[in-house]
Amino acid sequence: MMMQESVQDEYSLALGKEVPIASIDKELHLLWEADKASTNASLINLAVYSEADGAIIRNSEVVQAITREHACRALLIGIDREASEASIRAWVTAHCHLSQGRKSVCCEQIAFQLTGKATGRLRNTVFAHLNSDLPLVFWWQGELSPIFGERLYSLIDRFIFDSSDWKSPLESFRCIEQVMEEVETLQPMDIEWTRSYHIRYAIAGLFDDPLAMRAAERMNRVRIVAHPKHRVAALQLLAWMAACTGWQRSMDLGLMASSPDDHYYFESREGVDVTAVIELHPEGPPIRLIEVSCADCLVSVSREPGSAYLQQKLDAEGHVIDRCTPAGSEDASELVMNQLSMGGKNSLYRMMMPVFLDLLGGEPELPSTMSVR
Amino acid sequence: MKNPFRKDLVSRSRPEPCTVVIFGATGDLTHRKLVPALYNLQVEGALPAGVKMIGFARREKSDEEFRQGLEKLNKKVSRSGHDEAIWAEFAQNVHYHQSEFLDLDGYRRLSETLDAIDRERGGHGSRLFYIASSPSFFDDILENLKQAGLNQCNCGEGCWARVIVEKPFGTDLPTAQHLNRVVNRTFEEKDTYRIDHYLGKETAQNIMVLRFANAIFEPLWNNRSIDHIQITCSENLGMEGGRGGYYDKAGALRDMVQNHLLQLLSLVAMEPPTDLSADGVRDEKVKVLRSLRQWDTPELVEQNVVRAQYVAGHVDGENVVGYREEDRVDPESMTESYVALKILVDTWRWSGVPFYVRMGKQLPKKATEISIHFKEPPTVLFNALSGGVPGGNVLVIRIQPDEGISLRMVSKIPGSSLRMEPVKMDFHYSTSFGKGSPEAYERLLLDSMAGDATLFARRDEVEEAWKFIDHIERAWHEVKRPLKMSEYVAGTWGPKDADDLLARDGRKWRRL
Repeated sequence: MMMQESVQDEYSLALGKEVPIASIDKELHLLWEADKASTNASLINLAVYSEADGAIIRNSEVVQAITREHACRALLIGIDREASEASIRAWVTAHCHLSQGRKSVCCEQIAFQLTGKATGRLRNTVFAHLNSDLPLVFWWQGELSPIFGERLYSLIDRFIFDSSDWKSPLESFRCIEQVMEEVETLQPMDIEWTRSYHIRYAIAGLFDDPLAMRAAERMNRVRIVAHPKHRVAALQLLAWMAACTGWQRSMDLGLMASSPDDHYYFESREGVDVTAVIELHPEGPPIRLIEVSCADCLVSVSREPGSAYLQQKLDAEGHVIDRCTPAGSEDASELVMNQLSMGGKNSLYRMMMPVFLDLLGGEPELPSTMSVR
Repeated sequence: MKNPFRKDLVSRSRPEPCTVVIFGATGDLTHRKLVPALYNLQVEGALPAGVKMIGFARREKSDEEFRQGLEKLNKKVSRSGHDEAIWAEFAQNVHYHQSEFLDLDGYRRLSETLDAIDRERGGHGSRLFYIASSPSFFDDILENLKQAGLNQCNCGEGCWARVIVEKPFGTDLPTAQHLNRVVNRTFEEKDTYRIDHYLGKETAQNIMVLRFANAIFEPLWNNRSIDHIQITCSENLGMEGGRGGYYDKAGALRDMVQNHLLQLLSLVAMEPPTDLSADGVRDEKVKVLRSLRQWDTPELVEQNVVRAQYVAGHVDGENVVGYREEDRVDPESMTESYVALKILVDTWRWSGVPFYVRMGKQLPKKATEISIHFKEPPTVLFNALSGGVPGGNVLVIRIQPDEGISLRMVSKIPGSSLRMEPVKMDFHYSTSFGKGSPEAYERLLLDSMAGDATLFARRDEVEEAWKFIDHIERAWHEVKRPLKMSEYVAGTWGPKDADDLLARDGRKWRRL
């Protein structure tokens, strides 16, 4: 009994007032009536879903950070599917921020904790509380589970997930691919993909240089050094490069791979053989280095462990550029904020996806002990 | 050849590596706006690698002294804060070039410096000249750029030489035409960027999105549904910081209406462009300016334009002096610190819909906004009610300082009787998008590097705007019987004559 009370206190402390499910709307009204000086703002419905124990409390803090830049109605959903009894509890609160030092801008949050068989209640009860006419951005945390079914994803406008969390990325990505085909309006937003945004941007910036551009067609070697947890990010980077340049997988050479690193072989439109290697390094940032080179030109973007900057380097025919640029955050909530700021249809992700799935599926996944140097 | 890695990375024009040369580099604009804008672009990784900046000015300075001055102000004004590491990288690419604007030899030395940079960089050769000096030097700078051969790119295919010209672009039609001739003798029109920083503001850009991406507005955007449109730019400042010298030669009409407010008017009034290309948009804007009914006699000016000067009053709780008592203002000045105009756009769409434009100094608050006043609904249904229907719908596009959009509509007051009151639906950028908007100069600098001239004024736009303004200026200053100069107390919303201008049409200024 004592144990249960302390858990309840912790929930209420983090999630606000516990309310009966049937009174959520009424309690939200009361919340706004109590503070007339605040402005209620919302551009999206942001649902944050997790099956991890206690995640709902942590997510309340995450949503607090997100609402600084993105006005939303937040729905926190925590589910314990293993519990034997079916139950549902709800809390309401508001996250307020001072806008430009003047007015208090608030976003309302409804938190749901479900236990037991929850699929029907998730759709019928939780999604009955969406702000009408505003898009639903659904942030799925952790592994995909059977909850992610048609009855759920047909409601979603943007689906945020972090593929670096997945133990079996191929299987989950096949599922995402299928959903993307089935629901063309659903926009997938992979946090792992956002993680490499600044690196892609930095690479593109270097190839603005005419000497790098001239050398682009001769580039025949790619080297990516990544953290083992972020092999997916490395593969996505490689897939992005291949999709942008039109490199095709070269299967004959691929069979010759023999080192513990991931090797991939491509052929460019101009008939140049391109060798790509992904090295996994257990220390440092998700992507530590990406290097694209040929005999007379080297383009690289690197990040030292602990550094907040990316180092952009170009060395072409003696012409050298060496400058730093912000690396961006690795924090999940900030990455979600970045994704929300970008808006759009994420067309680049769709373009990269087929090559990425080919790379992911074409190579057997190596045990981390084998691939880590 | 296109950079394959730029594809779909960001949905905007791709900036190209270049050297930016700023004329008037020791001035306020460079320190407060241009360099912080370039720095912020660097922070966001939006500047292509290899961009260099050269400040061209008359004072003796070393590179280091120049950088230190820029850094000092960047720390104060930069939107994204000041990161020492990023600044150090940025500052490495900032150089100073000392020369008189009239000294051709200085431009030849600049040419050598640029060539050396290009050799070191591997032959980009693209150059962006930003003329941020006093307008009196525009001609000489352009002429000397040509004499030194800097107006063209000599580094082969793909490189370019462009010029950005700050406002004011001329002081009347003849001077603007002269300046246009000089610019076009020096640079091709496609490489000429006449800057109007209002067009770099998010809300100004949003006007087109609001109109053309929302199916509910476009069918109503005409004389069948709209009664009139008001554009207001009010400033709560006077002639602080020695501004009186410049302002007394320009006045409200030439300083603000000719460029900023007519640009906003043309965005509101234009027809949908066939595409979003620079010329597609500018073709439609210039058609609006060509359609402005000309107030080309003193009588028409007297009927449709009000000018005024402020007299001593209170603004923000402070005593302020009258316009003619301001520092560097002629005590006999006949320059207007306030202007209100009725403008008619003679097109099929806008026939009979007046645009009321007003701009003034020392008004109660700082605000720029466009309000679209829809016609009132037929009162047949509610005409038995006492008081009738309270006003029509008003759509307000706020440009600054609190960017946003609001829509006024009529609603029933709760209760058993049928009584109605106007209510407002309000959208604020600041509350809905917590993230600050980029400075207008950031967008405009990036666009000019990318060769996207959509948000810059074309030659014919500038000249058409001056044609309209010149008739009014002539009526004010070149007729034997000077037209009336009204007065308003500082801290009020302008003279009574401006209220009368609308009252004659049965309308009144929107309360801000």
